[in-house]
Amino acid sequence: MDQYNEEQEKLHTDLLTLNMGPQHPATHGVLRVEIKTDSEVVAQAIPHLGYLHRCMEKHCEDVDYRGVIPYTDRLDYLASMSMEWGYSLAVEKMLGTEVPARAEYIRVIIAELQRIASHLMYFGTYAIDLGAFTPFLYAFQDREEILRLFEEISGARLLYNYVWIGGVWNDLNDEQLRRIGKFCDKMEENMKKYHALVGMNKIFRDRTANVGIISKELAYEYGATGPVLRGSGVEWDLRKNRPYGYYDKFDFDIVTGKGEMGQVGDCWDRYYVRVFEINESIKILRQALDGIEAGPIMGKVPKIIKVPEGEIYLRTECPRGELGYHLISDGGKKPYRLKVKSSCFTHTSMLPDLAPGQLIADFVATIGSIDIVLGEVDR
Amino acid sequence: MLKEITEFLNKEVAGCNATLKEAEVGDSTIFVEASSIKKVCFALKDSAEFDVNVLQAITGCDYSDRIEVSYILASFTKNIEVIVKVKLPKTGKNDLVKIESVCDVWKAANFQERETYDLLGVEFTGHPDLRRILCPYDWEGYPLRKDYEVQKVWQGLEVNPAHKINQEDHDFMTKLKLSSDNPKIVTGSWEGHVSPELLEQLNTKMASLKDASSEE
Repeated sequence: MDQYNEEQEKLHTDLLTLNMGPQHPATHGVLRVEIKTDSEVVAQAIPHLGYLHRCMEKHCEDVDYRGVIPYTDRLDYLASMSMEWGYSLAVEKMLGTEVPARAEYIRVIIAELQRIASHLMYFGTYAIDLGAFTPFLYAFQDREEILRLFEEISGARLLYNYVWIGGVWNDLNDEQLRRIGKFCDKMEENMKKYHALVGMNKIFRDRTANVGIISKELAYEYGATGPVLRGSGVEWDLRKNRPYGYYDKFDFDIVTGKGEMGQVGDCWDRYYVRVFEINESIKILRQALDGIEAGPIMGKVPKIIKVPEGEIYLRTECPRGELGYHLISDGGKKPYRLKVKSSCFTHTSMLPDLAPGQLIADFVATIGSIDIVLGEVDR
Repeated sequence: MLKEITEFLNKEVAGCNATLKEAEVGDSTIFVEASSIKKVCFALKDSAEFDVNVLQAITGCDYSDRIEVSYILASFTKNIEVIVKVKLPKTGKNDLVKIESVCDVWKAANFQERETYDLLGVEFTGHPDLRRILCPYDWEGYPLRKDYEVQKVWQGLEVNPAHKINQEDHDFMTKLKLSSDNPKIVTGSWEGHVSPELLEQLNTKMASLKDASSEE
């Protein structure tokens, strides 16, 4: 026995360094996380970003104001419509352009459909992260309908270039509006089914409840926004608190995490917020479909856009959190500087604080639950 | 609201010299002395009146003689948004400009400061881990500066090799302009990359058109 103890003391133990990514299905893109593990427990996690860095902020300084929109598409490629809208709003605010009522309604409809599509993507891939394959197929079936509609109106399935400065590029016809109405009815039924199937599942609950807890204080400290902040129990939604577009005309609720399955701010709460936000989006969609009226879809915008000298910081509520555009103009035809404040970048910075003490499998669940898109992180 | 914040800062932080720059279009900003930025941030975060609890972004802009660093702050409890700015004089092309880090105030500052360091060359003194974040760790220069030039070789690889550039594509718009009677209606987006011979032809054509119109 004594000999055994001596042997053990001589044994040198060390932390094991593992590279998670850049090509790893659980990181949802090209994110590399260098993790130091003590057997199955993560001791330290260091995110390495930049594998998708294109320096789009520099590119934007080289094209005119309209030419920036396709670049914004490629930020969060799962929510391109929301990305375009934020940029267009910033330029419109600087120009003082009035957007016609029909275009405002179309923008709300499009953005909410995009939110549903993006949350469905989260729902499907998150289930895959945790080992369930079937929900992914369900989610993609429904998402496909939205993408088909977007393809009809804009010509593309992912990168639309649809929301333009002053309005939108193309009109929606009555048949398409009816289809959206039908889709809402179907989606509402489906979400009940999906939530019962996945959210209430025993394995799913065990894997997500009390895992990756983000307290309210930590969320504020890191500047978290969107579903991550709401999952921590904070009632904060730009659509309600600082309304833009026509959002002040609609009646909907802010979904917050309540800690039903464990502590407030765990992975399950973030799942809950996203899934029930789809229902709120459906509420908004129905009101928008009732309110939409005939009219022009493009406001009066000069042929060559020259933004007056000054700067603006404008943020909008995108599916993954708040997206901010800090636009500085020197009075010329091109932006002098355009900074994109990305919520995914902010959320990625939380990983080193969340990882220590977690099992590797739980860390995968945590990365999935903050739902990052690397196009927006790396820009 | 911004006026009150400016008054508050001048009262609370001695020597911060807060001035409100009011803008006709867009957002107004508050300029403070660079040396007092950390105290200003602490004062705003601790004040019960404004409760600025969230750092949204740290960003900067290069104006050839100076770099202006913006701290975009917000309060999610009082629903306030405020942009605090500092001016840092620039010395040389690739010289770092220095300012104190605010990592102790908000944890969010960590990644934001790394990004500003990476893209604009602002050194945040007192930052725990100031490394490049988006560019490769051994990249040279600061891309978002206006006088930035891309390095020729990186890790033995040629950056933007000539044979990978499709010059025909870049020349396409210029050729359209040359063939058109009214070149102004052709708006091309590759104007910066046209081959020199074509550009010369276009310039002579534009000059002759100008002469013709002025004679009329």
